[in-house]
Amino acid sequence: MNAVAWGLLAQAALAACAVVLAVATRGRVRTVLAGLSCALVAGAGVVTGALALGGRTVVVRVATALPLPPAVIAPDRLGGLLMLLVGAVGVLASLYAIGYVHGASASRTQWAALALFLLGMQLVPAAGDVVSFLLAWELMAAASTVLVLAEHARRRTAREAAVWYAVMTHLSFVLILAGFAALAATAGATSFAALAGTDPTRPGATVAFVLLVVGFAAKAGVAPLHVWLPRAHPEAPSHASALMSAAMVSLGGYGILLVGIRLLPGGPTWWAVLLIVLGAGSAVYGILHAGVATDLKRLLAYSTSENLGLVVAAIGLAMLLRTHHVPGAASVALVAALLLLISHAAFKATLFLGAGAVLRATGERDLDRMGGLVHTMPWTAATFGVGSLGAAALPVTGGFVAEWTLLQALIHGVRPADRVVAVVVPLTLGLIALTAGLALVTFVKAFGIAFLARARSAGAAGAQEAPASMRVAMALGALAVLALGVLPGPVAAAAAAALGLTGADGARVAGLGGVELTGVGAVLSPAALVALGAVVGLPALVGVLVVGRRRPATTDVLGWGCGGVRTSPRMQYNATSYAEPVTRIFDDALQPRRDVVVTHVGESAYLAERVRFAQHVDDVVEARLYRPLVAAADAVADRARRVQNGSINRYLAFSFTALVAVLLVVVA
Amino acid sequence: MSVAGELPVMSSTAAATAQLIALAAGALLVTSVLVVWRRELSAQVRLLTVQGVSLAVLAVTIGLSGPRSARAELLVVAVLVLVLRAWLLPWVVGRRLRAGIEAGDAAREDGARLNPTASLVLVALLTTVAYLVSRPISAGVATRAGGGISGPAAFAVPVGVCMVLIGFLLLVDRRRAMSQLIGFLVLDNGIATVAFLTAAGVPFAVELGVSSDVLLVVLILAVLSRRMQAQLGSTTLDSMTELKD
Repeated sequence: MNAVAWGLLAQAALAACAVVLAVATRGRVRTVLAGLSCALVAGAGVVTGALALGGRTVVVRVATALPLPPAVIAPDRLGGLLMLLVGAVGVLASLYAIGYVHGASASRTQWAALALFLLGMQLVPAAGDVVSFLLAWELMAAASTVLVLAEHARRRTAREAAVWYAVMTHLSFVLILAGFAALAATAGATSFAALAGTDPTRPGATVAFVLLVVGFAAKAGVAPLHVWLPRAHPEAPSHASALMSAAMVSLGGYGILLVGIRLLPGGPTWWAVLLIVLGAGSAVYGILHAGVATDLKRLLAYSTSENLGLVVAAIGLAMLLRTHHVPGAASVALVAALLLLISHAAFKATLFLGAGAVLRATGERDLDRMGGLVHTMPWTAATFGVGSLGAAALPVTGGFVAEWTLLQALIHGVRPADRVVAVVVPLTLGLIALTAGLALVTFVKAFGIAFLARARSAGAAGAQEAPASMRVAMALGALAVLALGVLPGPVAAAAAAALGLTGADGARVAGLGGVELTGVGAVLSPAALVALGAVVGLPALVGVLVVGRRRPATTDVLGWGCGGVRTSPRMQYNATSYAEPVTRIFDDALQPRRDVVVTHVGESAYLAERVRFAQHVDDVVEARLYRPLVAAADAVADRARRVQNGSINRYLAFSFTALVAVLLVVVA
Repeated sequence: MSVAGELPVMSSTAAATAQLIALAAGALLVTSVLVVWRRELSAQVRLLTVQGVSLAVLAVTIGLSGPRSARAELLVVAVLVLVLRAWLLPWVVGRRLRAGIEAGDAAREDGARLNPTASLVLVALLTTVAYLVSRPISAGVATRAGGGISGPAAFAVPVGVCMVLIGFLLLVDRRRAMSQLIGFLVLDNGIATVAFLTAAGVPFAVELGVSSDVLLVVLILAVLSRRMQAQLGSTTLDSMTELKD
């Protein structure tokens, strides 16, 4: 047994220990003990993942009770990277949960489910064959459903969200199962090592590719299979949202990477174009909805849909460029896909943890009722701010490096001579640029409306800073976002190594922890830029401060209130009004519903007593695609119910007919 | 139902055994058909008594023709059958029926879905089906080694299957709770008949277990029908349609 095997064993043992502690202890003791052991499970995952990423390999065979070959657990470098990523998010979420959970989310079921969820997410990238992959996948899906259900007794919407999530996640499972079955039937084997040699031109491979991609896309929250995200994330406890949105959806991305790069490389061009269309479409759709969302957690959920869309588009781009003989840019696109996954995990974890802290302090998820939190919750504000910078892909964050890498691949991948590449790549570039711009709008809104200005509700006014364990988790997340942005070189080099890209087509450390994309010859050294900025900017800053001191002291006066002094916090710019231009520009795509109710004073047509404005933005995909499907299923079920009319005689008649029919068939 | 013609070579005891089995089987079939035909519930209960006696006769005959060692046990079983199926169960059902009629419940099965003619035609069809489907069982019984009665028993097996089907038809067709109970008892008598004929007598422990089961079911259903009458004012199943969703 080598270190990786010991690490896997330690994870399983710690998870069992966490479940026992969650069930056996109570109250505050349970929260602390179970939380710490969950953090240890995830920490063991980080260590195991790092070892596997470093190149230690192991093959563990676990006999199952099923009539199947033993499940093989064999993490490779890429799996190791994902284990490291998922484990790191798990550590943050577990620490955070110690301070965060209360009421229903602190129950023994919830803690036990959290431990199993963490274990399941570790086993998915560690899996070395179809059987263990599917078992781990199902463990992850079932445990996360339990986490979404935390508030089921208090909120009906939590039950609805859990039903949507359960249906979508099991749809994903069934598609993946069918896809792997098709692939295994084509290749005649179930281990990933054996499946990797499948000829992608065989019809079975095409069926498998489509099924697997759709299944993994549903898990990754890629539009139009994203409908569970904006429902489940607002209802789940925030540490669970962070885990699901930062870690679990990454495994959907990992699945697409597994299929597109490892198992079925070299497929036809349309496979790559399918991924690019799916990814870029999801990116634009997701960020558009995030831009107009007013529920903070819903906004973050849609942003997940956007980021995973970018990942899928990057994978598709890599496949396209490989097939069309642009290997340098292709490998950069692959590195970009991993960097996007890593930076998304870092900033999305930070943002969801921050959103949870705000929810806990104010009881509000609606941005239009927040405001002024920077004064009462400075830690949360600072970490959420860093996370927002990352999500908006601004410099000195991981998000910037990842998006820069993707844009490098796109810019250097253009080949005017190749018609497909010449059309697809510039179009993708345009869509991703649009996404980046909208992301900036979205996260300026998220941070500015929630934390700046004055409180818009009593809850926001009376907010208290989060307890220590939550602050530590959020600060670690923010530090990770910054570290990924300032020192991207080692991360990019590790990502390249995980993908098996070495030498001329990889990425390596350049300068002060900077990154050099050897495939396209681009260099980015944020640490050097930061140092340069400090050298140039510090004197300027000092100068501004000095000049500012010299000016006479200002006096505070009330803002202009139409001639009166009736200023209220509700007269501030809010999330809806900030997003109004976006809503207006994308009116056709978003189709918002607006209600304006004017109550007049007496009979006057000119004097209004009050004006009420309400705007709802429904998910078009949900309304146009899913609602009709659900309605059709309901109608069929209603028809079927006529068979079951409650009469005992009728039920007996069914049995009687069946008995006679069986007897006749047996004789005949 | 002449058996003698098909079994030409046999001693006088064997001939008497064959005649008795044929007679009992015939009585079982006829009573079952009559239960379908009659709508008067008390008449159906009297038919059940006759059926129980016939079943006991069958059990005694099989017991006497079996090996000497098992004879005592099989006779005890026959007595158990006689007490339970010819006396106790009809008595429980009849008592409940009289109490129901006194409380204002109908004395006739008035809610059957099929009219008597149609149900008799259906019974004829079911009898055909029973003879058709029990051929493999009959063949198995006829070739069974050692039993003096395997020939006539094989001939009578379809009657048991037919009773099961008729009992089931009663359950499907009738709406009164009491009719359901009677249908269930016919069905169970059919199962017992098949068991006696195919296994050349049933061990005492098995029969005791089955009997107590049936007794319990009948008692529970009797109590249930009483509750139904108290709660709903009648014992038709039409008012019970909550068994969905």
